[in-house]
Amino acid sequence: MHNSDLFFNNLPLVVPLMLLELGLLVAALVSLYRRKTVRHGNRLIWTLAIVLVQPFGAIAYFIFGREVD
Amino acid sequence: MQATMTFWHKEWLAAWRNYHVLILAVVFVIFGIEAPLMAKLMPDLMKLALGNQLPIKLPQPTSSDSWQQFYKNTSQIGIFLLALIFSGSVSQEVSSGTLVNLVTKGLPRYAVIMAKYLVAVVQWVIAIGGSFLITWGYTAYYFPDDKSPHVWLAIWPVLLFGLFFIAVVLLGSTLINSNYAGFLVAALVFAGLALLNYVKAVKRWNPLALVTDNLDLVRGTEKITHILPACGVTVVAALVILGVTIWTFNRKRL
Repeated sequence: MHNSDLFFNNLPLVVPLMLLELGLLVAALVSLYRRKTVRHGNRLIWTLAIVLVQPFGAIAYFIFGREVD
Repeated sequence: MQATMTFWHKEWLAAWRNYHVLILAVVFVIFGIEAPLMAKLMPDLMKLALGNQLPIKLPQPTSSDSWQQFYKNTSQIGIFLLALIFSGSVSQEVSSGTLVNLVTKGLPRYAVIMAKYLVAVVQWVIAIGGSFLITWGYTAYYFPDDKSPHVWLAIWPVLLFGLFFIAVVLLGSTLINSNYAGFLVAALVFAGLALLNYVKAVKRWNPLALVTDNLDLVRGTEKITHILPACGVTVVAALVILGVTIWTFNRKRL
C-alpha cells in the first residue's frame, strides 16, 4: 500500500476536497493582495499561513487578518 | 417586520462581502466530505503508520464511523467556527457607529437583533444541512450497512443547539464591546454546560446533550425521548437569551 493508492482509490472524495481547498486558497490570496493593509501581522506572514496551513490558514486570514471594508 | 426585513437584506450583503458565507460553506462542505473519507481511510492509515506488524486484524469501517467523524467535526469545530464568525456581529457595528444613522432614522432596535439572529440561523441551517446531506450521500454509497438506522433523527438536536448557541454569541456581542466577546461568552457557556454534565441529575436537561448524544441516536442505542427535556430547555433558553439580548441592546449607547 502506497500513498498514491490511498489517493487513487478515493478520488470521488479527494478531488472535491482538493478543489475546495484550492478555491479557498485562491480567494484568500486574491483578497490579501487586493487590500493595502492587513490586521494582525503582515502580508508575508499571511501568505505563508494561507499557502502552508491549508485550509485553516485561509480561514484564519478571512476571520482575523482581512481588513474590514 | 418590515424593518427586520430591511435590515435582513443589509445583513446578507454584509455576510457575503465579509466572506462569512464562503467560509461557512467551504468548511461545512469539507466536513461533509471528510467524515466518510476519514472513516474509509482509517484502516489504511493505521496500516501505513504501523506497517504489517499489527498483531490484530483491524475491523472494517462502518457507516457508524463516518457519522462519528461527522458529529465530532460539527460539534467540536463547527459550532465554534460559527461563534467566531458571528462574534463581532453587534459589537463591531456599535464600535464603528454604523447603527447610529439607521436607529435615529427610525429603525427599531429589536429589528437589528432579530435580523442578525435570523440571518445567522439561516446560514447555520444551510451549512449543517448541506454538510449532513453530503455525508449522508457518501456514507450510503460507501458503507451500505445497517449500523446507522436513525441517521435522520440525530441531526435535529445539533440544529437546535445551533439556534441556542447563536443567541448566546449575540448576547455576548451585545454585552461587551469587543470583537471576540461573542466567541468568548459562547465558549464560557459551553464550558459551563460541560461542567454541569458532571451532575448526573441534570444531565438529561443539559442542552449539551444535543451535541454529545448524536452517535447513540444514530446507532439506535438511545431514543430521542431521552433528550427531549434537554431539547425543551434549549428552546426556552434560546428564546430567553434572545429576549435578554434585545432588552440589553435597547438600553445600549450606540
